[in-house]
Amino acid sequence: MFKKLTLGQYTHKDSIIHKLDPRIKIIAVIALSALAFLMGSYYKFAIFSSFIFLLIILSRIHFSHLLRNIRPFFFIFLFILLMYIFFSRNELYQGVRTIWKFILFIIIASILTFTTTITNMVTAIETLLKPLKIININSKTIALLIALTIRFIPSLFLYVDRIKDARLARLGNLKKPRHIKLFFLPLLERVFKSASNLSDAMLSRNYTDKRITYFNAIKLKYYDYISFILLIIFIVFILVI
Amino acid sequence: MIQIKSLYFKYEDELVLNNINLNIEEGSYTAIIGANGSGKTTLAKHINALLLPTKGSVTVDSIDTKQDQFNVRKNVGFVFQNPEDQLVYSIVDEDLAFGLENLGTETKNMKKKVKEIMEDLKITYLAKKNVNMISAGQKQLTALAGILVMEPKYIVFDEPTTTLDNKNKANIMSIITKLNKKSKIGIILVTNLLSDIKYAENVIVMNNGEIIFNDKKLKLNKTILKKAGLDV
Repeated sequence: MFKKLTLGQYTHKDSIIHKLDPRIKIIAVIALSALAFLMGSYYKFAIFSSFIFLLIILSRIHFSHLLRNIRPFFFIFLFILLMYIFFSRNELYQGVRTIWKFILFIIIASILTFTTTITNMVTAIETLLKPLKIININSKTIALLIALTIRFIPSLFLYVDRIKDARLARLGNLKKPRHIKLFFLPLLERVFKSASNLSDAMLSRNYTDKRITYFNAIKLKYYDYISFILLIIFIVFILVI
Repeated sequence: MIQIKSLYFKYEDELVLNNINLNIEEGSYTAIIGANGSGKTTLAKHINALLLPTKGSVTVDSIDTKQDQFNVRKNVGFVFQNPEDQLVYSIVDEDLAFGLENLGTETKNMKKKVKEIMEDLKITYLAKKNVNMISAGQKQLTALAGILVMEPKYIVFDEPTTTLDNKNKANIMSIITKLNKKSKIGIILVTNLLSDIKYAENVIVMNNGEIIFNDKKLKLNKTILKKAGLDV
């Protein structure tokens, strides 16, 4: 299951969403996620979902890839649904709506990560967080932390799978409490070792938080401005109808 | 030239390196061999200034590692054992540019250098691939390209073939030899396998944090290797 999780895995395609400036995409993700939270009525939900569906089409992402990202959360959704069934059956529709909101969040985040390379995202986050310099926060460090988290999510799940397989081979199952310890301790050890190796590798390549040049320098183009205006129009439309 | 003088290194009160004295010539091919825990990786990390001496000194082309880590690392590249932990960015060509961004290379020049190095290593087809989706051999080539693109004078390889199959291992070893012979890059190969040192001119054998042999490969004998706990 974990091997198929593709969050944070950029797929190279020639689409308008891929071409958009990453700053516009990040702002859009934040705005659309907030909007999904604020929505109450079903028809707004339907319009919003259609808009997200349109974004999927425009970004040329395979639905199967999106489903792979949603699948690991299946049990959380089931849990939410069961909670509503057992304790608040009258408000079951609320449960369905909450789950649908979660699915929309995952899809919105996936569109960003499938269409934006890590370097572009780092550069965009750095630029967007620059005002934090006033309170002595280095936007480059924050951006790199986010990039590394996204880069290592698949590796983390790979470690989980490997350790799980190794433990299952020797223990048969992982149902006893002591088995959980036997599973998490090597995982933590592997994660810390990996982090230490990565930090050495970055230092050996002269990592500095004061870098001034970028492999993918970003610049706003006319279609970025058009997309931004369309996004604002859509948000205002959803809020006022 | 890399000069190591009276180097001692302590880690949590344990003496890991004990009075290391060593000269590595520019453009030479040196293998550092020893059993696990002999201190060879610790020594290699001193050459790239990842570790600094507790006592003594390490200089790379007269630059002291304690004084100027930036220029030491600019001259000495380091390829790690596990490429999985060495790749910073998710996309191959972007990861190759990581070092160049840190060196402040101009964007246009950066793109040119990345393209060239991918052509040299015949990995252009990997340019837009996600590093999580490529094979172990391809990851090691990407890690190597990320170092080569920075144009170092010396490269330290820390057991670079451990995670590879025989075919990829042969490929990496052949590239390392070519880098030395054609591009005149100084190679420092850290290994615990005798089969890896066949192309090296000089061999350093380590045991318990000390150098027990430092000479031409031809002078290496079974007694020294046995003393170092290596299978002959």
